[in-house]
Amino acid sequence: MDIELGSEDLAFREDVRGFFAENAYKAGEDYNVWRLEWFKKAAQMGGWDVPKWSKEFGGPGWTPTQHYIWEQETATATLPWDMPFGIGMVAPIIMAYGNEEQQKRFLPDIRARKVNWCQGYSEPGAGSDLAALKTKAVLSEDGTHYTVNGTKIWTTMAQIADWIFCLTRTDDSGIKQEGITFLLFPMKQKGIEVKPIITLGGAHSVNMVYFTDVSVPVENRIGEEGKGWTYAKGLLQHERTGLAGISRSIVALEKLKEQASSVKRGNGSLMDEPSFRAKVAELEIDLMASEYTELRSLASASAGSAPGPESSILKLKGTEIQQRIAKLTVEAGGIYSAAWGRGVGHKFAKAGMGGYLASRAFTIYGGASEVQKDVIAKNVLGLKRSTT
Amino acid sequence: MNFELTNEQQMLQDSVARFIQDNYDLESRAKSAASKSGFSQDHWQTMADLGWLGLGFDEADGGFGGGHVDIMLLMEQFGKGLVLEPLLASVILGGGALKRGACAELKTEILPGLIDGSRQLALAYAEEQAHFDLHDVITTARSKDDGFIINGHKSMVLHAGTADQIVVSARTSGGQIDENGISLFLIDADAEGVKRENFPTVDGLQACEVTLKDVIVGSNRLLGELDDGFAILNNVATDAILALSAEAVGAMEILYKDTVEYTQQREQFGHPLADFQVMQHRMVEMFMEYEQCKSLLYRATMEAAQGSATTQRTVHALKHLVGKSGIFIAENAVQLHGGMGMTEELRIGHYLKRMIVIDAQFGNADYHLQKFAA
Repeated sequence: MDIELGSEDLAFREDVRGFFAENAYKAGEDYNVWRLEWFKKAAQMGGWDVPKWSKEFGGPGWTPTQHYIWEQETATATLPWDMPFGIGMVAPIIMAYGNEEQQKRFLPDIRARKVNWCQGYSEPGAGSDLAALKTKAVLSEDGTHYTVNGTKIWTTMAQIADWIFCLTRTDDSGIKQEGITFLLFPMKQKGIEVKPIITLGGAHSVNMVYFTDVSVPVENRIGEEGKGWTYAKGLLQHERTGLAGISRSIVALEKLKEQASSVKRGNGSLMDEPSFRAKVAELEIDLMASEYTELRSLASASAGSAPGPESSILKLKGTEIQQRIAKLTVEAGGIYSAAWGRGVGHKFAKAGMGGYLASRAFTIYGGASEVQKDVIAKNVLGLKRSTT
Repeated sequence: MNFELTNEQQMLQDSVARFIQDNYDLESRAKSAASKSGFSQDHWQTMADLGWLGLGFDEADGGFGGGHVDIMLLMEQFGKGLVLEPLLASVILGGGALKRGACAELKTEILPGLIDGSRQLALAYAEEQAHFDLHDVITTARSKDDGFIINGHKSMVLHAGTADQIVVSARTSGGQIDENGISLFLIDADAEGVKRENFPTVDGLQACEVTLKDVIVGSNRLLGELDDGFAILNNVATDAILALSAEAVGAMEILYKDTVEYTQQREQFGHPLADFQVMQHRMVEMFMEYEQCKSLLYRATMEAAQGSATTQRTVHALKHLVGKSGIFIAENAVQLHGGMGMTEELRIGHYLKRMIVIDAQFGNADYHLQKFAA
C-alpha cells in the first residue's frame, strides 16, 4: 500500500490540467461549438471523451489512479455539459450485450454526443420495486417487430431525447425478474407522448412518457428476449457508484466554507461559529473516508474482480453527504435562502434553495436509500430477508 | 394543570379548521399565491369578519381580547393549510409593535383598520449584516425639527408589498449591535424615499427589500420611548416564534399523517410500503418528534400567557426543536413518498418548503440552541 503518486501519475495529472486549461471555455464563444470541439479534442488525447469506456471501444484504459486523478481534476475544472444516459448508461450495455451491428450503429453517435438518450425504467407502479414493471412489448407473429404499450415515469430529459433505452415486459408467466426485455427506440415517433412533471423547485427535467402501439423493430432488442433485467442490473450498480459524486462534494464543501466565511457574525463570520464549524468538520471527515472508499472500489474494479463490499456504500454515503452540504448552504444563507428566484442579501443564497430542494431526490432515485440498505443487508452481510 | 380547551377556544379551533378544510386545497392556494397580492383578498376579509385579525388585541383597542392560546390554536390550523394571508406579518408583527408601543391616538388611528382588514402592516426588522440578531441595526433615524429622517436598507420584509404602513427599526443612538439606542417608527409604505422591491419567497409567500432614503417621519409616529425599541421588538419576536411554531406543529401533523396514509396505499414488492419495518419505525420517529414539538409548544405558550420569567428560555428551546424536528419530519415525508414527494403536484413538498422558511425566520435551530445554552 502506498499513496504516493508515481512520476507517471504526476505527469498524467499535468497533462490533464494542461488539457483543461488549454481548452477552457472562453467568454463569448459559441457554447455548442466549443462543447463539440472539446469532446473532439478529448478524443484525440486517446479516449478522454469517454474515460470510462474500455480500450476495446476506444476508451483510454486508465489505471484506477488515473481515474481518480481525472475525477479530482474534473471536479474543479469546467467541463462541457454532458448527459449520462448515452455515454455512461446505455453504451456500456450495448458494449456488453449488444451485437456487433448494434455497436457499430449506436456507439459512434453516442460518443460524438450527436444523439440524446433517456432511460425508460421506472413506472408508476414500479419504483423501488423496478422489476414489477408492466410496459408491455408484444412480438409480431412474423417476428419482425415489437408493439410497445405502457407508461414510464421520472424519465429525465425525455423532452429533448432522441432515443430511449427501455425495459419492457414480454412475459409475465414467471417470476417478475424474468420476461423483461431491453429495447432501444426513437422518441420522436407516433404513439409516444411526453408529459412534464414539475418538481419542487419548479423545474422541468422529469417526465411521464406514454407509449401507445409503438412499433420497435426486433433489431433494436439488446441481447435475448426476457434477459433485460440481467443486463439492466449491471448498469444499475454502475449508475449507483456514479451517483456518489465524492470529488464534486469535496469541491462543494470548499465552496460552502467560502460562502459561510462571507456571512458576517459579530467580528467574525459564520465559519467561526462552533456549531456550524462542527457540522462542516463532520462533513470533511466523512468525505476523507469516502474518498478512499471510492479509491478502494476503483482499485478492485480495475483488478477485474467484482465490486467489493465497499462500493455498495458509496451511493448511500455520497448522496447523504451531498444532501448535508446542500442543507448547510441553505442554513448559511439564513433568511435570504427563502428569497425565490432572485439574489437578495448573500450572493450565494439564490442558488442554495434550489440546490437543497433538488438534493432531496438524491436518496430516492437510482434506488432509494431504504432499498440500497436492503440490498447490502442481503448481498453483503448475507442476511436473510424477512417477509416485509 | 389543565390542557382542556374552553368552549370558546374549541369553537375557534373548529371554525378555523372548517375554513381551512373548505378553502385551502392545493390548487386554490396556488391560484392565490400567483395573484398580484400573493394571497386571497376574499379570505383576508373573511378572516377579519370572523374576528381572527383582532384576536390578539385588547377589547379597549377594538380587539377581542384573546390570548396566546387562541393565537396558537389559530396558527396551528393555518399551518395545516399553509395559509398565505399575511396575518403573521400584519397582525402579529406590525400590530404587535403597535399595540405595545403606539400612543392612544395612534392606536385609534391604525388599529380599527388593521382589525377590520382594510389596513395592512408589515415589520421591517432584518438587515443583511445582522444574520438573526434583532439588535444589529445600521439603519439610522436622525432627529430633525419635530420628527426624524430615516436612512438605510431593510431586508426580507414579509408582505411589505401589500402593506399600507411599515414599522421600521432604526438606530437613534449607540453602536451597531447595542440593544439600547434602537427605536421603532411607523412609516407610510408609499412615503417619499421608500422603495420596495417585491419578490416571492420559496414557500409561496412574498417579501420585500425596502430601501429608505431620507424618509421623513413625525415624532408622533415613534413607537414606545426613544432608544427603547429593542424590548418591544424582542417581545414581538417572541410572539412571532410562538405563532410560527404553532404553524409548524400544524404542518407536521399533516406531514406525518399524509405519510402514514400514503405508505398504506402504495404497494411495492407485493406489499404496502407501510408493511416494511424500516418505514414503520421512521414514521414512528416522525410522530414522536411531532408530539414532542406540540408539548413544548404548549409549554412555551402557557408560560408566555402567564408572563412567566422562564418564557424567553423556553421559547429558545421551542424554536430550536421546531426547526430541527420540522425539517426532519418534512424531509422524511418527502423520502417516504418517493418520487411523488418531489413533485409540485403533491402537497408534501410545499410543507417542506414552508418548514425550511420557518426555521430560517427569527433565528434558526442552531441560533436558538446557542441562545438557550448561553
